[in-house]
Amino acid sequence: MIRWKNPREKPGWTRREFLLGALGGGIAASGYSLLLGNCTKKDWRADTLIARVSTYEVDIASILRKGFRELGLEGGEIRGKRILLKPNLIEPHVGAGHINTHPNVVRGAVEAFLALGASEVLVAEGPGHSRDSFLVLEESGLGDVLVEDRIPFVDMNYESGYAVKNLGGRTRLASLTLPASLMRADWVVSLAKMKTHHWAGVTLSMKNLFGVMPGIYYGWPKNVLHWEGIDPCIFDINATVKPHFAIVDGIVGMEGDGPIMGNPRHAGVIVMGRNPAAVDATSARIMGIDPYKVPHLKAASGRLGTIRESDIPQRGEKVASVRTDFALVDKIHAQRGLRLQ
Amino acid sequence: MRTAAIKGKGSGIFPQLETLRGRELDGGGFSLRPGGEYRADATAWAVLALTATGTQKELLGKARDRLAAGQKEDGRVCISPDHPEAFWPTPVAILAWNGSPAHHEAQSRAVRFLQDTTGIHFKKDPESPVTHDSSIRGWPWIANTHSMVEPTALSLIALRLAGQGEHERTREAARMLMDRQLPAGGWNYGNTFVYGQELYPQPENTGVSLDALAGSASREDVLRSLEYLAARTERVRTPLSLGWGLLGLGAWEARPGRARLWLKECFELQGKYGPYDTTLLSLLLLAYLATGGIASVTERQEPPG
Repeated sequence: MIRWKNPREKPGWTRREFLLGALGGGIAASGYSLLLGNCTKKDWRADTLIARVSTYEVDIASILRKGFRELGLEGGEIRGKRILLKPNLIEPHVGAGHINTHPNVVRGAVEAFLALGASEVLVAEGPGHSRDSFLVLEESGLGDVLVEDRIPFVDMNYESGYAVKNLGGRTRLASLTLPASLMRADWVVSLAKMKTHHWAGVTLSMKNLFGVMPGIYYGWPKNVLHWEGIDPCIFDINATVKPHFAIVDGIVGMEGDGPIMGNPRHAGVIVMGRNPAAVDATSARIMGIDPYKVPHLKAASGRLGTIRESDIPQRGEKVASVRTDFALVDKIHAQRGLRLQ
Repeated sequence: MRTAAIKGKGSGIFPQLETLRGRELDGGGFSLRPGGEYRADATAWAVLALTATGTQKELLGKARDRLAAGQKEDGRVCISPDHPEAFWPTPVAILAWNGSPAHHEAQSRAVRFLQDTTGIHFKKDPESPVTHDSSIRGWPWIANTHSMVEPTALSLIALRLAGQGEHERTREAARMLMDRQLPAGGWNYGNTFVYGQELYPQPENTGVSLDALAGSASREDVLRSLEYLAARTERVRTPLSLGWGLLGLGAWEARPGRARLWLKECFELQGKYGPYDTTLLSLLLLAYLATGGIASVTERQEPPG
């Protein structure tokens, strides 16, 4: 387990600022321009790295840093930047750690970005099923990790929002109301869990961004997005937010009736890269799922990135060497026929 | 109000009360967090908590005025002026205006808005993977979406305490909540089974639903939920779950004897997570002062003659 040698020396916020700091202060215009920038094919940078990680009790920060180096992510790009890590925290359920991004992966990611010189790394989430985010933190074990390492957390469900034009255009939503912490961030990292999903087929780094939409404007469980259609909303949110990096916790994922009621599945990997579509396509292939049969991944292909295997420079492990077929449930429409041949 | 007013001074909650008062804004009303902007939800909850302490009449009047000033013509109270679709603070505003003759008109408009408004409801496809009866009307979080458990429960509470307990929408809301109750006990955000699997209950949804159903359902009808919540509340110390857990149990005369001890532990959790926002602080103060459900610490309007 990774711990700070002396938490008081670690740059970051005090406990008094915990949960609050990211809400105050001015909103940086630079973050705004990042959110609205154009995404063209030459920017896809689809290189994706698969790291074999058998357990959560290893030095995950070192594994991530090694992966960053392989992907060309160096200090010069991160130094002085504010990094927002968006884990997947849906609802609390004691003993079901495979629902949420594991706390040690969050801890490792924080340490890895700080080591690259980030001025600030905060964790932000708007849990979809539970209004009690403190309970999600307490029962997922993440709360203790955040406090121990003095990592700030923002509950995006309750943040005042700012409207931006919906750059995806797949839904009727002309604008999206995003939380203020997203605007303040220089870099947005989707820190997802590797799971099957009963409405979306899979939930990986792209679907994970549902959690940035504040519940106070979108409801619990983000009802507006469900009524607009999950797949087109995934496209619109990703097209608008444009996360800079994606990390998928596939050490122990979830198979079957995800994202809550499925069973744990050990895949023993962390997948990462700059292009969420490419990272998710690779993750899907590891799960034995054809990304072209997952509607939101297919929709992203050629528009938000690439999911074509030959267009994704694969680093680290090969997909075939770590492929772990996740159980699919035939009666679940969104999972029918997804198996990769 | 059923309970005698507690002034706060000399009691264990005085520092929390002072924190809450300190969040009053110059123009009236409350922010969610220190230094923040006006928020309708924070203001309505703060009014409820401060009313229960029986203090600060002038402050309460200004806060209720601010709520009324932000009310839309059709009676809804929204999370912000540019988001009229997010009208979920309306039931809490109705509760906040209870017992204030100066705000009777605002409250009546809000009541009419709720009674005239519902979520999207439809006859379920027989092949649907969800099992609840999607035709029973309640209230949604956000306009033009399906009705969910918590806004329906809060609206039911608000309408009943505004003297509208016999209205058809109030009765239908109780039916909707009963339909969304999980067979093993408890409620979550609003789904029961999906693809044949019974979903997990959550304490805050269960607490607010039990509070709402007190007087509308029999103990036998909610027994498993009471058992679930009693067991769960012993283990939770986070504000939303503990606050509603205690109010839900209290509404059924099942408030645990150690409730105040647990609430103190919950207040102390601020040492770990930082100060609670205004809505959570208010909920905890209400749970601390309550002898039963939320009705035991809230003004009640008599039914129309």
